[in-house]
Order: sequence, then structure tokens, then C-alpha cells
Amino acid sequence: MAVKRQLEDLGDVAPRKRPRQSNRDHIGDLSDELWLRIFSHLSVSTLCTCERVSRRFSAIAGDSQIWKEHYYNRFVRPRAARLPGVKDAQSNGHLYFSSKLSKWLDEDSLVKRGRETNWRKQYKLRHNWTRGNCDISEIHVAEQPPIPPLLVRLQDGVLFTVDSIGGLRAWSAKKERRLLTAIPLNCRNSSPPTSLTVDAQGENGDQRVVVGFQDGHFSIYDLDRSNDAPTFRHSYSHAPSTNGMLTAVAYASPYLLTMTAGQLLSLYVFEQPSKDSTAEIRSPPRLLYSLKSHTVHPPLSLSVRPSSTTILASIAYALPTYFSGWSVGVQELKLSLSGELIDSRLATSSNESRRTLASSLPASLSPTRPGSPSVGSQSDSGPEADTSRTQPTSLSYNHPYLLLSHPDNTLTLFLVTSTSTSLSISPGSRLWGHTSSVSGAYVGGRGKAVSVSSHGDELRIWELEGGLNSLSMRKRLSAGQLSVRVQSSQKSSELQEQNLDVLSDAIAQRGSGLGLAMASRVDELSITRGWVGFDEENVVVLREKSNGGQALVVYDFT
Amino acid sequence: MSAPPANITLTSSDGVDISVERQVAERSILIKNLLDDLPEEANTESIPIPNVNEVVLKKVLEWCEHHKKDPPASADDDADSRKKSTDIDEWDQKFMQVDQEMLFEIILAANYLDIKALLDVGCKTVANMIKGKTPDEIRKTFNIQNDFTPEEEEQIRRENEWAEE
Repeated sequence: MAVKRQLEDLGDVAPRKRPRQSNRDHIGDLSDELWLRIFSHLSVSTLCTCERVSRRFSAIAGDSQIWKEHYYNRFVRPRAARLPGVKDAQSNGHLYFSSKLSKWLDEDSLVKRGRETNWRKQYKLRHNWTRGNCDISEIHVAEQPPIPPLLVRLQDGVLFTVDSIGGLRAWSAKKERRLLTAIPLNCRNSSPPTSLTVDAQGENGDQRVVVGFQDGHFSIYDLDRSNDAPTFRHSYSHAPSTNGMLTAVAYASPYLLTMTAGQLLSLYVFEQPSKDSTAEIRSPPRLLYSLKSHTVHPPLSLSVRPSSTTILASIAYALPTYFSGWSVGVQELKLSLSGELIDSRLATSSNESRRTLASSLPASLSPTRPGSPSVGSQSDSGPEADTSRTQPTSLSYNHPYLLLSHPDNTLTLFLVTSTSTSLSISPGSRLWGHTSSVSGAYVGGRGKAVSVSSHGDELRIWELEGGLNSLSMRKRLSAGQLSVRVQSSQKSSELQEQNLDVLSDAIAQRGSGLGLAMASRVDELSITRGWVGFDEENVVVLREKSNGGQALVVYDFT
Repeated sequence: MSAPPANITLTSSDGVDISVERQVAERSILIKNLLDDLPEEANTESIPIPNVNEVVLKKVLEWCEHHKKDPPASADDDADSRKKSTDIDEWDQKFMQVDQEMLFEIILAANYLDIKALLDVGCKTVANMIKGKTPDEIRKTFNIQNDFTPEEEEQIRRENEWAEE
């Protein structure tokens, strides 16, 4: 009896959707859960086809869990194979999709967001990045080129611009792309702004902006995003410095690092405001440390990385060398929280190892007389030995990646290794792909980089994670798979034809087919001012029109 | 503990008794758990399966008979590691060559009786019926009503262009 009751109960819990019928609509027989199970066996393109079948199919095929798994298999697992240390796990066959956090490498931010993450959207975003598909729109920021040039930063979907005419402005880089708010610069002696940096604050999404000026003073503004209409709040201005123009600033709360034209590097700390104080003007920062340099040439990049016990301030810069053109150097200052200098280290990219790398092979093949000029010419002709003869156009440092862009259509990637005992920079690796002078490059976390050509018609996205030391990465480089050219998804066959003519054989020979993508010609005559940046969803490039107008071009990958 | 009786009796929803080897019936986790939880003397009673009729139950048991030697499904609850491909072994493919009504009945029965491997085979079979078809062909195959307006469908098509290969 007990048996019967138990089974009958079960039967009640899971009743048949409808009694068996002889007519043919079986689709309703299966619950959404079972359809989900069926759909979990389908590819991405088939899922997208299913979304067009009916409303019910559309809802099931768009289920976040299915897309989460596709996301993992396509974007997380292949990376694991490239990263040292994770390999072992893969050989054991443990690296299948799992909702467990530990298997998501450093993409756990998406997983941690948990239920809110729209995995379908994330998949599409990532897919578009890989393919270089995007929509392009422009934000006009100025009619005339300001002097000095407009400064731009992009963070979390907000674009910050500062110039002497328009003041400090914030623009939304998301869907509507409009001006969020603006504040005039309260600069004494109408000194123009010369540097800009943004620090994300954890609390209610506020962002803090630091602007450096020509007369050496800096001001701090907070973008209050707590309500629908964000506003800037001026919170501090520092006295002008006698050391001249601030060429670069970096801020990581509560530390500020500044660099002046006189090559004086200064590290300040702001006292944490007490919890209940709402004072907008904060007390002046304390100077922790300063350092005079004689060899730091622009372009340069500053960064501050505070940890629980130390502050790591670093400066990366281009370095002219006597024999082989331009190289890079990184200086790292390690300070205790109270400002005592613990360690100061300097490293430059080792040209020697590069030369030996390139010359060892030919030397063994054809023994040359010592001092023979052919040795030198051989090493010069080697792809790695060729350092740039001209000053780099931009430098971007996002530990451990250091990326230089050159006027000779190439980029150089360096990997910086910083341990408790040593600081070193790997030999540079050349990156080919651009067909005109590269005017700007920006490298973000996890080695994703964006570079732009001076004529503004070529934007490339690079996946450089792990550097180029592994064989597989070198293969991908030579196959032209490391970067993809960005193309507008608003296709126009006319434009495509026109560009096919323009495309050089070099691109065609890259073979991947991606190189044949249509160019994103927004304006034939526009040139980029060299600034380029990106966040999770957009790439933004600063462009100057033929009439001098300044525009921010937003490449939207969503 | 003495060896459990080799045969048990299942009663289908339409009241037909089917005698089956216990090992075969235990491919169903539902039946297995039930037998494990019961005192032994109760095993002689017939077990009613109120959701599955005779034809479908016999078909399901045919599958269980062929797969009775398979290793039991792993207890891994985070079972996402199951193979993603829609490859189906040859015998199962033949087994699944049934009309659509029967196929859906088998999926429902496998789901109810908790026979994961059979459920997967069924789902893969349906997935294979979807693959490579246009939305219209999918609708025709499963007799689905298109409840989109042409404009809506066109909009989804455009939004999904990125995924075309």
C-alpha cells in the first residue's frame, strides 16, 4: 500500500501537461525545463535561429545558463590552455564548464555578479570584440582644436574630457551618448589643463578625477553619480608648483603621483576624510616622496598600485639608447604606508638578449670573421633585432603589459616582471598589422589592447595575454590572428569595394580573412590625435576633423 | 542480506503488469530509490507507474535492458560536464527512430522515471532535428504556431545577424 501511495503522490506532483492526444501539437507536452535541456545541446547559431521560431522558443533559447556555458567554453577554457599553471588542470580533464568560481580564472567578476549577469549579452559582446564588429558613433566635443590638446579618459562607460575652453566634462559612452555634466575649471591665471586621470571609487559608483595644469597645480573633482543627473563637485585644489607643468598624473585612492615637465616625480597621500565629515574641500595632501629624474622622456606612463602593506609607484618611459634607437625603462618605487622608501628599482628592456637571440642562428650557420659587418647587418635584419629608430608615438603601461606604438606601422610589446627581489623587462616583441603609422595604443588588463593608425581609418584590437613568449602565441602572431581590424556592422557594399582596392597585399596575405574587413571610415579627412581608450563595451578614439573640430568616436561592441 | 528477488512487477498507467529484471528496472533512479527504501517483503508487490502507459513503458524498458550493464550515472550533481556533442551511439540512434509523439513520450517518461542517460539521448535526438533548419522548417517539424508579427521576427533576425556563421 505504501508503495502505491508514494508513487501516486509523485504522479500528482509531476502531472502530465495534457492527456495524450492524437493531434500533433506535442511541443506543449514538454516543459520549459525539458526544452532547456534540449537547447543545451545546440550551437550558438542554432540557438539564435530558435529565437525566431516563437515567443516561447525565444524565451527558452535566450536562457542565461545556456549562454553562460557557451561563454565558458569559448572564452574561458581556451585561455586556460595558454596560461601557465592552469595547464595541468586541463590535462586531467577537469576543465569543463562549471559554475564553480575557481574554474573561471580571473573572469570571476562576471560570475560573482551572479544572477544579474546577462550571459547572452556578455557572449555577444565578447564575440563582437573577437570579430571586431561594432557600431560607430561620434560625439562632437569642440569646434576648434584647443591648445593644449583636449585630454580624454574613459572609465566604466563615462568619458571624461578636459580642455581650457569647455572645462571638465563627462559624457555617457553608453547608448545615448550625451553630455552628462560639465564644470568650468577654476584655474587661477587661466592656466590650461595638461594632464588628466580618473580613479573609480567603490562607494555608490562615484568617480574621482584629477586634473593637472600648466602652472603645476592640480585639482580634484568628484563625479557624483548617486542620482539620475550626475554632477561634478570640486573637492580640492593644490597650490601651483614651482617645478612647472604637470605632464602626467596617476591616482589610486588615497595616493596621487605627479610628474612635472622638470622631471620631478612626487607622491602625495590624502588623509582619509572622517566618516561623518561632508567637507567638500579636503585638507591638503602630504608629500610622501619625490624624486628628480634626468632621463625620463615622454611618452611616459605613471601608475600607483597600493597594497595592504606597501605602495608601489612606477613610471614607464621611452628611453633613447646610443646604439639601437628607442627602448623602454621602468622605475619602481616601493614605499611603506608611512612614506619611507623601502626600495627603488630600475629596469630597461634588455637589448643584448635580443641581439643574441637573433644573431645566434645565422652565426652558427655561417661562421663569420670577428668584427665582420655582416653580423651587425644580420641582427638588424632579424625581425626581433630591429628596434625603432624613431621616438615612439605613445606608451601604455598596465602591469605587466607595456605597449609602445611607433610611426613605422608597428607596435612593441614588453612584459614587466616585478617580484619582491627583482624588476625586469622582457625583450620587446614586434606586432605587425597596421598599414599606416600607429599614433596611439592602449593596453588594458588581461592584455587586451587597442591601437589606432594616424589617419584614423584603422583600429585594431589585440589579444596579448601572456605575452609572446609561448610558441602558440608566436604562431598566432605569424598567422595574423593576434589582432582583428574593427569594422562597422552597418555594412555598405560600396564602401567595401572601395576599400578592397585600397587594401595592400600585405593585409591580403595575412590570410585569416579578417584583414579584409571593411574599414571604418567615418571621415576621410579626419586624423586621430593619438588618444585611444576602451572599457568593457566601447573603444573611444579622439579624432580631429579637417576643419579642426574635435570628435570622440565611439566604437560600440554591444 | 539475502539477494533481492530477480524480478519485479511494474504496472503501467493503463493497468498492464510488466515483469522485469530488478537490475533493468533500477536504471530508473526513481524505481531504484523506491526499492532501496522499502522493506524487502514489499518487493513482491507490483509497482504502479501512473505516468507511463504500456507501450511507452515497454519501449523504455527495452532501452534499460540494452543498457543494464552501463556504469551507473555518476552522482555529480553539477552535471554540466556531460558531453556537449550531439553524437548518439548507433544502437540508441536506431532505438530513437520512432514517430515524434513516441519520442516526446520517451523523453517525458525518462524524465519522470529519472533515467538521465535516456533523457540525454532523447534530448540530443530532438536537438538534431532542430539543427540546420530554418525557423520555418522548425515550426513545421514541431507544428509550432508562429506568434511573432513579421516585423518582430525581422527585428530578431537582424539582432541575431552577429551569430551567423
